[in-house]
Amino acid sequence: MTSPRSAIKTRSGLLARLSGLAMSVKSFVYGMTAYEFERHALAERARLEDLFVLITLGDIIGVPILPPYYSLRLLPFAVPRLAAWKRRLLRERHVLENEEYDLIEL
Amino acid sequence: MNTLYAVILAALVFYIGYRFYAQRIDKNIMQSDPRKATPARLYMDGVDFVPASRGVLYGYHFKSIAAAGPIVGAITAANLWGWLPSILWLLIGVTFIGWMSDYSAIMVSVRNDGESLSAIAHRLIAPRTRTILLVFIFFYLLLVAGAFGNIIVGVLFGQPQVPLAIVTLVIMGMLGGQMLYRWRTDLILMTLITVGVTLLVIIAGPLGMQVNPPATQGGAPTIVQGPVGQVMVGWNNAVNAITGGAPVISYFDPTLPLPADAPSGVAVANVRITPAFLFWLVFLSAFAYLGSILPIWRFAQPINYIGFWITFLTIVLASLGAALAVFIKPDVATLKIEAIKSADLGFSLAAGKAWQPLWPMLFATIACGAISGWHALIGSVGTSRQIENETDVLPVGGGSMFTEMTLGMLSLLAVSVAGQGVGVPAFANGVGNFLSVLGVPQHIGAALGFSSFVVIVITVFQLVIRVMRVTLAEGLGDRSQIFRNPHVGILISLVLMCLLVLSGIWVYLWQLFGSSNQLMASLSLLVVTVWLASTRRRTTFALIPTLFMYVTTMAATLVIARNLWETVVVPNSVRAGAGIAVGGAIAMILVSILLFVAAAMIGLDGWRAYRRYSGGAPEARTVPAQSTT
Repeated sequence: MTSPRSAIKTRSGLLARLSGLAMSVKSFVYGMTAYEFERHALAERARLEDLFVLITLGDIIGVPILPPYYSLRLLPFAVPRLAAWKRRLLRERHVLENEEYDLIEL
Repeated sequence: MNTLYAVILAALVFYIGYRFYAQRIDKNIMQSDPRKATPARLYMDGVDFVPASRGVLYGYHFKSIAAAGPIVGAITAANLWGWLPSILWLLIGVTFIGWMSDYSAIMVSVRNDGESLSAIAHRLIAPRTRTILLVFIFFYLLLVAGAFGNIIVGVLFGQPQVPLAIVTLVIMGMLGGQMLYRWRTDLILMTLITVGVTLLVIIAGPLGMQVNPPATQGGAPTIVQGPVGQVMVGWNNAVNAITGGAPVISYFDPTLPLPADAPSGVAVANVRITPAFLFWLVFLSAFAYLGSILPIWRFAQPINYIGFWITFLTIVLASLGAALAVFIKPDVATLKIEAIKSADLGFSLAAGKAWQPLWPMLFATIACGAISGWHALIGSVGTSRQIENETDVLPVGGGSMFTEMTLGMLSLLAVSVAGQGVGVPAFANGVGNFLSVLGVPQHIGAALGFSSFVVIVITVFQLVIRVMRVTLAEGLGDRSQIFRNPHVGILISLVLMCLLVLSGIWVYLWQLFGSSNQLMASLSLLVVTVWLASTRRRTTFALIPTLFMYVTTMAATLVIARNLWETVVVPNSVRAGAGIAVGGAIAMILVSILLFVAAAMIGLDGWRAYRRYSGGAPEARTVPAQSTT
């Protein structure tokens, strides 16, 4: 005969599995629907940020635009993001990366 | 054979292939390691390299790969060879080749700092591989633009209940983009409004439409359009009145039936391009122009989103109908087309006739449901940079491909149960039959099938033109600045597309697209095989599919070139007014030769690289390839 304790464990195990399945389905639907908007919004913001950093601190990659005085004033705020910015700007891109490749469903 | 058996078979193949083959390869050969840092975690720039959870990425990757390709391919193959060879290729192809192509392309990219396949090919195989791949991509996109454009214009012109839904889609798409990005409306609200209105208009299209049974045995049913359809018919007639109903272009298409009054043995013109057809071609071009020039959030993305929902709902309901049909409406569940269309499987060759042997043409016709090169490109450019954990690659890449197989299966079943029509009309009628199991009137279900099909194809089409413009700029922008002008790039792409639509024989266009897609798949498999050799792993599971796909698709390219010459160029070259058809066929022959030569060059370079890394050649390198293992 199943003890009450093991019955509780079985039920909570089953509930946990169902809960996990529901979470997976939710993630799947999110991935198919809203995730592309999140990515696009992030990409748009990143492009603006990249442009801003390029204008203010472009001399790091050999594109001096602003006088150094302003660059130095902004430098402490930009330092945490500089490595990622440089990599993003200078990374070689595949031709398909220029447009929304993930929308082309073939 | 009925639909329930097919659904069970697909589910079984999915489970067995994934559980006993795919997981074994992942564990023993690729040796996915959850402790290894992926590029998404290493770089994590919050934009391109962003770790995403397995479930989210599975949905994202599946949506990126599953759309019109598996639908159109399955429809065409069923019509040419019957349902049995098509089902077998879908099941066997995805089990041994398809899942592995997607999975390994993503894994190889993950193990190489998120580099794209062309960058890896540049390093591992030969520098010219990247340039050749760019040429490949452009012509591949041109072929898909021509094939899809042909379908869309055909449906817009021939199905008067559909165009209003497309116009509504455009308006709702632009509204949706504005709501989401400018007015900051909630996504669920935006979805309910835009998708809801579009669905209502889709359903309104066939309202009042009557489908009367055929007057004679074996004849076509008579259709009396409802109010919406009658407006469109009136518009088409008004446009055709410009030339008094006479066609602008006409030629003989060997893949279409001759007119009923044609003298026997004489190849009369059976394709008649009327002014109304040209109008819808211009409409499609305008749609694609807007999609290519406007910011992505303004037009292409929201339209794609709405189109996804319409197609998703149609597919889910149709799948449910297919599974339940055997219990509720057994007649719907029975497959009505032949299991095998001809006993010789298309292998007998006759001069002047199209040659459609099962091998290699089936494997080029079902392009995306079993295996696709495009998926490998997408996976290596986007998905691989979001993989959080190496053990996620199999469910995301391999799982998505197995799931896409079910979409191809559904399309095949829809065509097989339709009982009337060929191609897209058969698919729509089949979807209507499946939806009738759930209580939806058949003609409304068929209209939903037509509209969802056109919606999914048109949303892909606009983006294909967009990427063609970008590829032109990338490839020729350094030689001449004019190619960097987006309007020039779009115009060139649209003109080429229109030429293909007006002159390309659709079946050959689709098969040539399929060949180029599968060739790309074999090239991506080649890169994977060379990488496996460079990292001293077993290559058999990748090498055999590579060789099979490579030989098959090279052969398919040659067969298509032969068919074009024998059945289009030769019979039409002496016919007045068929110059454009002959020109189109010659252009397609040149494209097929170009693809053949490009693939041969990459194949040769790949073979040399493979022998180098597997130590087969005397000049084998002693320094292993520069990649993380």
